[in-house]
Amino acid sequence: MNEDMLLEYEDIEKSFFGVRVLSKVSFALRKGHILGLVGENGAGKSTLVNILGGVISSDAGHIRFQGREYTAASPADAFRQGIGFIHQELNLFTNLDVAENIFIAGFPVRRIACIPWIDARAMRARAEELLGSVGLAIPCDTLVERLSQGERQLVEIAKALRLSARLIILDEPTTSLTARESERLFTLMKELQGRGISMIFISHNLGDVFRLCDDIVVLRDGLVVDAGPVERFSENRVISLMVGRSLDHYYPPRATVPDEEVLLEVSGLSHPGIVEDISLTLRRGEVLGVSGLMGAGRSELARILFGLDPYTRGEISVKGLRMPSGPSRAAIRSGMAFLTENRREEGLLMEASVADNIALVCLPSFTRTPAGLVDSASLKRQVSGAASRLRIRSSSLDRQKVRTLSGGNQQKVVLAKWLLSGPSVFILDEPTRGIDVGAKHEIYKIINDLAGRGAGVLLISSEIEELMGMCDRILVMSAGEITACVERPEYDRERILRFALGRKPV
Amino acid sequence: MIRQGDRLLAFLLRNATAFLFVAAFIAFGVQAPAFLEPANLLNILLQSSSAAITATGMTFVLLAGGIDLSVGSIMFVSAALAGKVVLGGGSLALVIPIVLAVGIACGAINALFTTRLRIQPFIATLAALYMWRGLGLWITRTRAMNLPESLLQVGTARPLGIPAPVFIFCAVLASAHLVLARTPVGRQIYAIGNDREAADKAGIASGRVIAIVYMLSGLCAALGGLVSVAQLGAVSPTFGNQREFAAIAAAVLGGTSLFGGRGRVFPGTVLGAVLIQTVENGLVIINANPYVYPLIMSAIIFVAVFTDSARHARLSRLSRRYIRPWQAAAHRVETANSGEEGKQ
Amino acid sequence: MNPQVEMNRWKRLVVSDYWVLYLSIACFLVLFPFTPRLASIENIRNIFSNMLPLLVVAIGETIVLITGGIDLSVTSVIGLSSVIGASIMSSDQGLLAGNPAAAAAGVAGMILAGVFVGWLNGIAVTRLRMPPFIATLTSMMFFGGLAVWLTQSRPIYDLPARFIELGQGAWLWLPNSLAVAGVTAVFAHVLLSRSLLGRWIYAVGTNPRTSLISGVPVNRVVTFAYAASGGCAAVASVLYTARLETGSPVLGQRILLDVIGATVIGGTSLFGGKGNALWTVFGVSFICLIDNSLNMLGLSYFVVTMVKGGIILFAALVDAARSRILAG
Repeated sequence: MNEDMLLEYEDIEKSFFGVRVLSKVSFALRKGHILGLVGENGAGKSTLVNILGGVISSDAGHIRFQGREYTAASPADAFRQGIGFIHQELNLFTNLDVAENIFIAGFPVRRIACIPWIDARAMRARAEELLGSVGLAIPCDTLVERLSQGERQLVEIAKALRLSARLIILDEPTTSLTARESERLFTLMKELQGRGISMIFISHNLGDVFRLCDDIVVLRDGLVVDAGPVERFSENRVISLMVGRSLDHYYPPRATVPDEEVLLEVSGLSHPGIVEDISLTLRRGEVLGVSGLMGAGRSELARILFGLDPYTRGEISVKGLRMPSGPSRAAIRSGMAFLTENRREEGLLMEASVADNIALVCLPSFTRTPAGLVDSASLKRQVSGAASRLRIRSSSLDRQKVRTLSGGNQQKVVLAKWLLSGPSVFILDEPTRGIDVGAKHEIYKIINDLAGRGAGVLLISSEIEELMGMCDRILVMSAGEITACVERPEYDRERILRFALGRKPV
Repeated sequence: MIRQGDRLLAFLLRNATAFLFVAAFIAFGVQAPAFLEPANLLNILLQSSSAAITATGMTFVLLAGGIDLSVGSIMFVSAALAGKVVLGGGSLALVIPIVLAVGIACGAINALFTTRLRIQPFIATLAALYMWRGLGLWITRTRAMNLPESLLQVGTARPLGIPAPVFIFCAVLASAHLVLARTPVGRQIYAIGNDREAADKAGIASGRVIAIVYMLSGLCAALGGLVSVAQLGAVSPTFGNQREFAAIAAAVLGGTSLFGGRGRVFPGTVLGAVLIQTVENGLVIINANPYVYPLIMSAIIFVAVFTDSARHARLSRLSRRYIRPWQAAAHRVETANSGEEGKQ
Repeated sequence: MNPQVEMNRWKRLVVSDYWVLYLSIACFLVLFPFTPRLASIENIRNIFSNMLPLLVVAIGETIVLITGGIDLSVTSVIGLSSVIGASIMSSDQGLLAGNPAAAAAGVAGMILAGVFVGWLNGIAVTRLRMPPFIATLTSMMFFGGLAVWLTQSRPIYDLPARFIELGQGAWLWLPNSLAVAGVTAVFAHVLLSRSLLGRWIYAVGTNPRTSLISGVPVNRVVTFAYAASGGCAAVASVLYTARLETGSPVLGQRILLDVIGATVIGGTSLFGGKGNALWTVFGVSFICLIDNSLNMLGLSYFVVTMVKGGIILFAALVDAARSRILAG
């Protein structure tokens, strides 16, 4: 084993619910180096570092850290072994101050009368030292609640340094930061590097990656497509590696072309902090793609369109009728359907039967009044009709709980549910996430069928290739705005990714 | 953009307890000047000792994100046991440790059910409420126990010139405050109440901390029961009835959140307990219909809980992630600074 | 993953629909040797008559539990309802004293009062976002206090005969109270298993977020559940008041323990999404059986109280275990 190597991954594998997320991942990180980990959404970056951080465990393979075999039973365990993890979602306690957050699991104490008292002076001194080392000039008794996102992140780093971490993982640290805060972070990272601390830097901003990192690892579909010193790469090369020339998925051809009639029209839609000046039209028979990276605001846009979240400016019209601005159920009534990106928490009743799930949206049309009896015979007919049309594989629609279905079948259940309400606009948010290839294909056919029958489909996806195969046009979002609209003739993976990578204002 | 009306409402809600205090003093003082006499005010302090002690214990549990509905029954069962021991000839020096031990034991059982067996706190402590009351009724054979002089001393003694109940209440308050503010366990209680998952991830021994808060609640309940019984001179079968309510009300009125992570014993909970006692005392002095009392109490609790829920809902909304943080930053700073009450 | 989870005999028993029925039978068989009088006709009739009003309240509570909430105010609703009804009907000083429609108006007033309190609970939980247990606990205190204040703690007598018939009388061979309880149970069963509202109630209890996105009017469904619970408590109050022949503000003070115990041990989950009328029937019969047999064994009220507390704990444990087993 190489003495210089701080960290080595050997053939790490991981699967979730039967879907392979990491395959034989191997790479190495030198002491004092910053490693940039890049890849599209779903490439496996977070899973890779979560194994290191003790959040999940690997199925196979070895990790060597500081020359020894490494496993972490929990995040606290990883921390004790010298690995600090700055998550995207910060783990700070907003009701406590900075110093307390830093020392929450290891306060310096003085024993008086057999009771451990917090040694406030020692704590303050050490906290100020740590804050100074990350360049944060705030009093250490400031409540975390009052800090900006950038300041909170620096507190997290200070926390990681408390036990002299040798390796710090930063998972997309700049997404919620202003440009100035990002600069401050980068200066700190260089300084930490000078002190011999290694870092793994996950980011979508290739410019930042090239600035900061000594090495790059490119992940695609859970595989390391290339790794090496940053000099070997160029931004173009990285983009094409990320996007890859994988086996061309066969996307079912469409039988129809979009109509003239406009089903959904959005103009100037804005909500401070979430989306800015969104305008789009969706025609009958059209599949409109929405591309972008995680955190670009696509799901947030979908929620606003469906009426779950409010908006402050702009207009939404379905088939010419204006939609009201507060959270409302008008969306369903006017013929919209929303398949959310997390089917387990928001798309399905996991503990209920398949039949109950499929019936959920269209139930009101099977009875005259809410207290009235449901016409269960005809409901059952409709439900099994939908289930067989979508080819849902289930042993018993009435008795089998949705929880026990495969991911693909679960997604079909959600689609069936919405189909039965006869909508004209479908908003699909990551419909093929976490689903095997065979089921994906079936869902593509269903989407084509929907468009063929005259619905309009808004397809949100992180897989650029999927969008290119399925959509008539692709909108690209970045930081809450639409940065481009790409027509079919201009489809190019790298171009679309570039638009998605975008640029942020100061 | 924060409108003036919103600002005013936020200010009113944040200082609801102080306003209620002022309102109570004015309302009662005007109708019965005797209310404002120093002797009466000292009396209020004396009467609120027991409630303040139990409310302090409840504060610990609420801070960690739990709830303890069995407090009244713990008061009862420990007082019943104390009475039995004293009537059987035991000395005061024997009784006090027994009472405290019973409280801690009951609390430990509550902790067992909520942490190890993972039963929701409200149902586990609701069941405990019935179990301990049943046990207490069995000990006293449902008859009232008149207590001998020795126990009453606790009520009438005046160490350092201060009535014993007030003395004990101050001691409990001071210790609680110190534990919460100056010990690792105390700060970890706040952390667990704020975000249990993050606390577990950070390596805090959450199970152990939660066990401690329930035991402290049991201890305070027993101590509060002792102080109350010493002033009453007897243990009746309904002793401690609905005291958990008063404890929760005092804590929430004092700014402790039912959602965890927020609240202080001093001045918070103490003010809440004294406010409740003030209202009760005032109602008696103006000869109000005794049946009005629960109505007023529940109205006060309602206001307190409503304020808490509203604040919690607002904070959740403010803390969600923004896609365009630079746009949201100004908006957020404005709203955040208008609301919060500083260090916990 | 297998559609049928592999379970050993014990697990399958715990998860079965009828497990409380088995439990009741088991208890009966265990206790019978100690108290042979348990099986006497008169005793069975006694258990039955205690069961019926309790069943009505428990059914309302079941509906609230299925939505994932809880209603602790039912006892106060019973008292308040009783007082309001009696104030309308009483031949002594009631509002409609002597009027032939007094009984009917009284009952209507009682039910209206119950539904109104339930509705207020619903608003507190949905609009004001207060945790259900504290919202209904506060309700309990307030409306209980209100009932006592309205009557200055004095019971109201002289209720019209027609009203008392409702609780004590019979039509042919069928006791009225049995008819009332039976109709309530059947109505609830049909509502929960066959109606749109019933399906919505289960959906909200299983996952409110999914329900909201799927078009279920979550707030209105939850408010309905609390209103139904208040209404059921009021119906039970009719039975209790008729039986006692008195309008009393402390009526029902002692049954909260029984109501919660019966619904939870019957199998209705505290986590929401699970429960039905039949289970509650079994749960109520179990609690009444325990109550009755422990009394026959000569155990005092306090011991019985303790045991019931222990039963709630046991039921909550089983509930948690069932969720774990079914989650695989």
